[in-house]
Amino acid sequence: MCKIQKDKFLSEEQVVNKMNEELKKLYKTVILKNNNEPFAFEKREEAEVVLEAYNQICGDRFRLFFEIENDKIVNLSFHGFGCAISKASTSILVKHLEGKSLIETKDILKSFLNVINPEGIKEENIEEDFQAFEAAKDFPGRSKCATLSWDALKEYLEEK
Amino acid sequence: MIDPVNIRGEFPIFINNPDLIYFDNAATTQKPAMVIDGIKDYYENHNSNIHRGIYDLAASTTKKYEVVRQKVADFIGAPNEQSIVYTTGTTAGINLVASSFLSHQLQAGDEILISAMEHHANLIPWQMLCEAKGAILKVIPINQDGTIEKPLYKALLSPKTKMVALVHVSNSLGTINPIAEMIEIAHDHGIPVLIDGAQSVAHYEIDVKALDVDFFVFSGHKIFGPTGVGILYGKEEHLKKMHPINFGGDMIKNVTFKKTSFLDGPQKFEAGTTNIAGIIGLGYAIDYLNQFDKKEIQKYLKHLRTYAVNKMLEINGLRIIGSINNGNNSTDQAGSIISFVMDGIHPHDIATILGVEKIAVRAGNHCTQPLMDFLELPGTTRASFTIYNTPFEIDKMIDALKGIQQFFN
Repeated sequence: MCKIQKDKFLSEEQVVNKMNEELKKLYKTVILKNNNEPFAFEKREEAEVVLEAYNQICGDRFRLFFEIENDKIVNLSFHGFGCAISKASTSILVKHLEGKSLIETKDILKSFLNVINPEGIKEENIEEDFQAFEAAKDFPGRSKCATLSWDALKEYLEEK
Repeated sequence: MIDPVNIRGEFPIFINNPDLIYFDNAATTQKPAMVIDGIKDYYENHNSNIHRGIYDLAASTTKKYEVVRQKVADFIGAPNEQSIVYTTGTTAGINLVASSFLSHQLQAGDEILISAMEHHANLIPWQMLCEAKGAILKVIPINQDGTIEKPLYKALLSPKTKMVALVHVSNSLGTINPIAEMIEIAHDHGIPVLIDGAQSVAHYEIDVKALDVDFFVFSGHKIFGPTGVGILYGKEEHLKKMHPINFGGDMIKNVTFKKTSFLDGPQKFEAGTTNIAGIIGLGYAIDYLNQFDKKEIQKYLKHLRTYAVNKMLEINGLRIIGSINNGNNSTDQAGSIISFVMDGIHPHDIATILGVEKIAVRAGNHCTQPLMDFLELPGTTRASFTIYNTPFEIDKMIDALKGIQQFFN
């Protein structure tokens, strides 16, 4: 016979505290801040490149808008809907890639994706913004949220 | 009376995980010891292939296996076991009806009618059939409260309609559709009806004979049984006319290099060695469920749902999808599934955080993407209850939801 052990459960206050402890790893300030105040979050009617990052499993869908001028990514913005992690990671992408050359972009992409890759070797001097997403790899099904827009951009640049 | 704490004790997963709060019963239920032990007993004491063996073990296993057919028939009020086809699940049952029953009679320009709240399993097989035959898939719209638009249902039925396929209880909204009435209306037009009972059969009394339904499908794993088994009930007159679509051993009367004749009964759809352990496990699941009075189950689940809904609606910015679920009076049309959204917080973030609290809920489109598009939602968080859930567990979820709100603001 298995009785529900009430003392195993926490009070609302304890839940909030525990949640803050365990989840602050996943939802670091960086993620919550970028979710609430995303960088260059604007829909554009026209852009040279409109890239769609779509996760068919959960329905998250972002569009990246940008131009490539003199081998540099410029006027980068994004719009769409997704969870806190996918939205924040797209915001971080926009923040870090605006004005970067295509060669620099490839390095930055690699560096970010390496943070979430469970087999990735930890690099030194990783951007704090990137490091915030590290915990996503410990949550089943959530690492795709962190890499959604980054994968889409990587794929675009590789095919280009 | 339903005693959830005692019931919980019959499920080994809760003994092994005492702090697990499992609210994902619409996806799959946990399994009682009776089912797990039954399957173990089959493999340890009875394992042999059915129908073919002459030795005692094979004969007794065949009996064990075929007894379940009668058990299922009794469970859903079917006239006899000859109308019960073993499948691999709800999806397989619908595909079988689409390919074997409807495919041969469907002409270009004919119509199949489904509702806007169908699971992909009760949508795509019909859509594929329509594409292949040049037929048209028509969809009954739903109201904002998550109920079917009955006047439009009647209006959409036409002489071209060759099949109506409806979900009994919506897996996304919890709406209970008035299937008895809807079947009667379809039959007034001479149209056969398939009912997807995946979400209803565990909790509601089903009487396929009284419903006069043509086909009724469900899965074992959503009624405390194992995965990989399901049931297609079909009126015998239909099953007799249907041609098998899978061919092989164990379904034949006579085979020569020139010609094969098939068995007459449901076995003609069960080519090859089936999931014998699973079918036997399903039999135990039905035995398990038969211990309870379905009216008591519904009474208890109504209590749980009302309790949860009232507490959830106290949370600012939380909205329950399909308002049929709100308030205390609409209980006849709402099941034990609650889909909700929270302002500014994505369903996946909610489910991740609840997951950290060992509260298992589902987030996403619940295999009803067109329904989510209709509701203009990217997805919802869904809590679905059954007989081992308690108000105490709901309190824990409410606390966690309040915590999530604080966390994100």
